[in-house]
Amino acid sequence: MGESAAGKVPPLTIDGHWAFDYTYYAGDAASRFFAELANRRIMGTRCPQCLRVLVPARGFCDACFVETTDWVQVSPHGTLETFTILTTSFPGLPEPPLVVGYVMLAGASSAVLNFVDGIDLTDPDAAGTAMLGRPPVTARFKDVCEGRITDFVFTLDEPA
Amino acid sequence: MTGPAELAILGVGQTPYRRRHEGSTPELVYGAVRAALDHSGLEHRDIDLVIGGFAPDALAGENCPDKRFLPAAGAVGKWSMRINTGGTTGIAAAYAAMDLLEAGRGDAALVVGVERMAQARSVPAVFNSIFDPIYERDTGLSTVSMGALRATRMMQSWGYTAELWARVAERNFAHAASNPLAHIRTAYSVGDVLTSRMLAWPIRQLDACPISEGVCAVVIARTSAAARQRGRPLARVRGRATVTDTYNMGDRIGRREGDLVELLTLRMAAQRALGQAGLASAADADVVEIHAPFDHAETMAYAPLRFCAAADGPALVESGFGHRDGGGPVINPSGGPMAANPVGATALIRLAECALQVMGAAGERQVPGAATAVATGQGGSTQFSTCTVLSGS
Repeated sequence: MGESAAGKVPPLTIDGHWAFDYTYYAGDAASRFFAELANRRIMGTRCPQCLRVLVPARGFCDACFVETTDWVQVSPHGTLETFTILTTSFPGLPEPPLVVGYVMLAGASSAVLNFVDGIDLTDPDAAGTAMLGRPPVTARFKDVCEGRITDFVFTLDEPA
Repeated sequence: MTGPAELAILGVGQTPYRRRHEGSTPELVYGAVRAALDHSGLEHRDIDLVIGGFAPDALAGENCPDKRFLPAAGAVGKWSMRINTGGTTGIAAAYAAMDLLEAGRGDAALVVGVERMAQARSVPAVFNSIFDPIYERDTGLSTVSMGALRATRMMQSWGYTAELWARVAERNFAHAASNPLAHIRTAYSVGDVLTSRMLAWPIRQLDACPISEGVCAVVIARTSAAARQRGRPLARVRGRATVTDTYNMGDRIGRREGDLVELLTLRMAAQRALGQAGLASAADADVVEIHAPFDHAETMAYAPLRFCAAADGPALVESGFGHRDGGGPVINPSGGPMAANPVGATALIRLAECALQVMGAAGERQVPGAATAVATGQGGSTQFSTCTVLSGS
């Protein structure tokens, strides 16, 4: 006599772990972009077809599908185009509260994502509402550049 | 030449969508596929193609999961492949099946979308790994903060508020209460949404989809083959289109062709799909399933779907648009992704729910007399957009 398939046992679980190490190659354009950060310069590349200055620098324009040509230094001053305030802690992610936002630097045609420092975040609603008007910001370089996007952060030009 | 109007959905099978399923992935896939076959009236031997969607492997913690889940979907001895385009994975699998059917590769296809993300013990950290490791990942970007960056811009551009979005959430949760498959079936109120935990300003917990698991399966056939199923309802494919954008969200800020929050690719996909079906607007449909894991993201789709101009979105929300008893199109009668968002399945669920509606087979959540339905798909940082129009037989 076979047993009924409906005979249930408690679900068995097996632990797993997935922590592989990687080496990411930044590529020609990003390697030069990060090298220029060490010189306190934020660089973009210009698409010869649509004439956009892509920041951070890219080797090609994926809209026109052509290689970028000129390297262009953009201003450290720009506009906070949009942002979020990270308020909840998640394992493996930077510890909140933090502000990250997209900034359109003067002379650029695309916005760059980075942290916005120096904001009082005790009341996230108040802080968020105060920053809604696309406030001016400036990139501030860290003392030592490591070749990461976090070599600079943005700060508001006027306190929110 | 064959055209989209010659394809139809014959059957749908779904697991319930839950925080966690206790079965194995192949068992869950088998169950949903078996149900879809039974619903369609076709047998396994009638299926020529098996196309599976599975989102980031690291969420399930299984590399190349296609090896195990495609055979569970009935792929043995048949043409089969796995597809991954993030949130649009499930519908991308359906489109691949439709394209292959139109190309004459077979008469009937089985499409399955699979999600086992609860196997990951840190979903946000896994989601951080989907972003560009060179320029963006160090900022701690996750799918929630990615959404929040759009929400803030919509507040700036069009005057949306947390209160308005909470009304969208409230309606989705109210609809989900009638869907036994939904993961969240609590009819949360505006007040519940506005007092839930802040995840990434301005997004609170109940503005966002839950972490859900489940499997959705759909049988699609050429109507010549479908004709053998006389007397069974069909969901005819009247239009479909998919358009891809740049990955770089910063490139879409202030872009002339369409800003980050203007969803250029959905606008293009909707224009094509609605045009194929002869609809001027998705508002002409009876049911619209919008693939939006956040309330703000649903409203971002309103202008691309031609409900209104982008600036009039807040007023449209104020009007109570989209409610089951509202007189206009019913938005997300299933509750939508805010009530269950199994990533690798969710865009296929939008299609499946629209199919059930126009087949008159949606049970408690049936919109009476639903004849035409529109399903959208969004994936990869709103990089991939799809729009599908279905109508009943």
